[in-house]
Parts: sequence; C-alpha cells; structure tokens
Amino acid sequence: MSGDGQWTSGDLLTQALAGERAAFSALVRQHQRAVYSLALRMLSDRHAAEDLAQEVFLQLYRNLSAVSSEAHLTFWLRKVTLHRAIDRLRRAPRLESAAPAELAAAVSETQPADPLLERRLRALVGELPPAARAVVLLRYQEDLDPADIARTLGMPLNTVKSHLRRSLAQLRERLDEAADALT
Amino acid sequence: MKTSCSRWRWLLAPVATLAASVALAAPPAMLNLPDFDALAGKATESVNISLDTSLLGLAAGFLDSSNPDDAATKELIAGLKGIYVRSFTFGQDFAYPSAQVDQVRKQLAAPAWQRLVQVSNSRDRTHVDIYVSVDRGVANGLAIIASEPREFTIVNIVGSIDLAKLHRLEGKFGIPKLDLHPEGKDAKPDK
Amino acid sequence: MSENHAIRELERRLRAALEAVDPGEGFTPRLMARIAAEPALAARPPRAGAVAGWLTFGLAASVVLAVLIAHEWQVRRLEQGREARRQLIEALRVTDEKLNLAYRAVNSQERAASAEHSGA
Repeated sequence: MSGDGQWTSGDLLTQALAGERAAFSALVRQHQRAVYSLALRMLSDRHAAEDLAQEVFLQLYRNLSAVSSEAHLTFWLRKVTLHRAIDRLRRAPRLESAAPAELAAAVSETQPADPLLERRLRALVGELPPAARAVVLLRYQEDLDPADIARTLGMPLNTVKSHLRRSLAQLRERLDEAADALT
Repeated sequence: MKTSCSRWRWLLAPVATLAASVALAAPPAMLNLPDFDALAGKATESVNISLDTSLLGLAAGFLDSSNPDDAATKELIAGLKGIYVRSFTFGQDFAYPSAQVDQVRKQLAAPAWQRLVQVSNSRDRTHVDIYVSVDRGVANGLAIIASEPREFTIVNIVGSIDLAKLHRLEGKFGIPKLDLHPEGKDAKPDK
Repeated sequence: MSENHAIRELERRLRAALEAVDPGEGFTPRLMARIAAEPALAARPPRAGAVAGWLTFGLAASVVLAVLIAHEWQVRRLEQGREARRQLIEALRVTDEKLNLAYRAVNSQERAASAEHSGA
C-alpha cells in the first residue's frame, strides 16, 4: 500500500469507496484542516470544533457512496460542517460569544504580519450572526466566490452579497471604534 | 414576545389607529410596478421577485411544518396574497432616475393608500416611505419605498402581514440578524 | 479609490486572519479509532454504486422511459418549489431590512430630538 503522498485525491476517494480505511484516513488528513477551521471559527471553541469536525467525518464515512467526485466531496464537507455549526449555535447560543483565549490558542503556525489585529478580526468574525459568519468564512477562509457560497449554503445569491457587504461594513466600523478607543 | 411587539409599536400603533378611523371601499392593494428595465441595465445587482397567490402557495408547500423556522414562515405568509420586490444596487451614489419611481408614488395616493411613515436619516442619506392600504378597517396591503445612496427598493405586500412575526424570523434562513435592540441590549453608544 | 483600497486591505487582513488551522496530530487517529470501535461502522465499509447497481439489470425500455418522464416532472416541480421558497425568503429578508432602515432613521431622529431637548 502506497503512502499518502503517492495517491492522488481521486485515487483516495476510489480506494475509500472500495472500503480501504487507510485511504479514508488519508482523505480525512487532506480535509481536516478546512473542516476543523470552519467549525472553530463558527463555534469559537476548540473542543466543540473538534467534536463537530469528527461528527462530520463520521457522517462522511457512513455516506461516502453519495460522494461522486473530489469536488463534490469538498462541497459536501463545507456544507455539512456549516449547517451543523449553525444548528448547534441555534441550540446553544452561548457559543456565539467569542472567547479570545480560545482563539488565541489556535493561531496559525505562520507568523501573521499583525497578530493583534488578526486576533481581533477573528474575534469580530466570531461575533457576526451565524449565517453571515458562515458566508464570511467561505469567502475569506475557503476563497469561494458568492455563487459557490450561495450553492453551498442554499442561500439566494443576493443574500450572500448582502451578508458580505454588511459584514465588511460592520467589521470596519468595529475596528475603527477600537482604534478610536485607543487614541 | 413583548420585546418583538414593543419594537414595532412605532409602526403598529399608527396602523391600528388608521384602520379604526378609515372605512372605505376596497381598492386593490397591489401596485402596478414597472419592470424598471432602465434601472436594471445600470444596476450592479438587482432583485426582481413577484410571488402571487399561487406561487406563495407553492412556496408554502416547500416549508416543512415540523421545522420551527419553516412553520413560523408559513404562519407569517398565511394571510398574504402577494409579495413583490424590486431592488437595485448601483456602483455610484444616487445613480437611479426618479421618473419611474414617481410613477409608483402616484399610485400610493389617498384615499386608497395612507402614508404611515416618511423618514430620512441624514447620516446614512437614506429615505424611507411606508404606506398602508386599508379596506373596511383592515390593513390589506403594505408598500415600502426605500432609497439609499447606492440602493433603491420597492416592496409591495398584498394581504395582511404581522410585522412582529417577520421580525422574529431575523437570524434565520440567512435573514440577517440586525443588532437593533431598543430595550437597551447591545445598544450602540452615542459618539 | 481610498474606500476601495480600505476594503481591499480589510479583505487581505481577513484572509490572513482566517487562514485554516490544523486540529492537531491526534485528530485522525481518534476518528479512525471511533470508526473501528463502532460495530455498525466497522462492519459496513462504504461501497460505491450499491444503490444504482440494480438499474442496469433487465428493465424494459418503455418502463424506464415512463419513470424518467415522471421523474423529470417531479424534479422540475421540486426545482420550482425550491425556487419559490428561495424567492419568498429573499422577499421577506428585503422587507425586514427596509423596515429596519426606517426604524433606525426614526430612532436616530428621536435620539437627536431628545439630545437637543436635554441640551437646551
């Protein structure tokens, strides 16, 4: 059996569909970063994020036959992760308030140019309403265009654009308020 | 419940007062909205929605009564006969011509329609007019004309709609939850 | 121009701030351990085409055609219904948004009037 690096994504999916657990494991490693990060930024809690990410992959394992391609897999993972996160937030709204300490612990390994600003931004994104937060994450973490965001979330395109517009305006306003408060 | 009702007191009270005092023959509450082709051509984004009774019925059939949000939406639209929206976003401030808008305003004249609200916000440079159509003491239509620097919108609702119920749907289905809590929670500090 | 520049800068910062992070080394082993530990999952590896497979066996062409036509109608009806639902939600969203716009304007006027009154 080849190591992860020697399998293409399509190979991994085919192997996983044929019942190869090692291939499924490799698929998980390929996608865990994106799934976990979406969950973390939606729920603002590392443990809840890991729990949710694990549930998503378990659901994938049970329903792998419904996945038709690598592109479909990515689409499916984003969609299920965000819908589950939004459901959780509705049931337990206390998760909505961002805990800066939790977020600080999950800072990327790369050194950001302005760590304080970026931490503040992550906290502010965590304060957006769930649907707007999901749109912002798909745009700026996953780099999707509005049409793909609309398809992933099952949302009208204009709603997506409205969320983006308003969220950016809100983020700017709050950053400006914070800057004013310091001067 | 109380929060939602009191939030819309500013609008519901005038509607109730107006409904009590007006008893007229029933004009249709449905506006004749132009296609706004000229506007659509200049707009960067446009929304054109026309849901009549049958389409509202079709949409209601795709709302899952066992889902609380869908059930709330079904309840909200139960009294509606139509919802019509024309909304345009532009790349520059106030790029929309007023002639076609004036055609709509002319239809919103008394006695068939009464203007409930005419308000401007000089900071945001927005202007909103809200009209209600009343038939035999019952509000049976709502019209909103909203102009913002880069967006222009007309909404026409035919039938009765509970605004407090609409407000309760904020935050669901991608309807943005706006941070407006007049009772003091998260109120924006005055600068 | 500067407005656009400010937005682009914010977007750049957002992309940097929202760069994906890893859940840690133990994530996949923990997941695979859960799969191995659950009998239903462990005994039933996913298989492709299990549902679709039966369609390839011995169906008369006319029956297949009838099924396809009925399915096509249903799919179209489903699409129309979903589109109507999407449009309904969008219409309600716009309505609520504009009512909130009016509310903010009224609120702003009342606050200004109240400030003027108390400052006088």
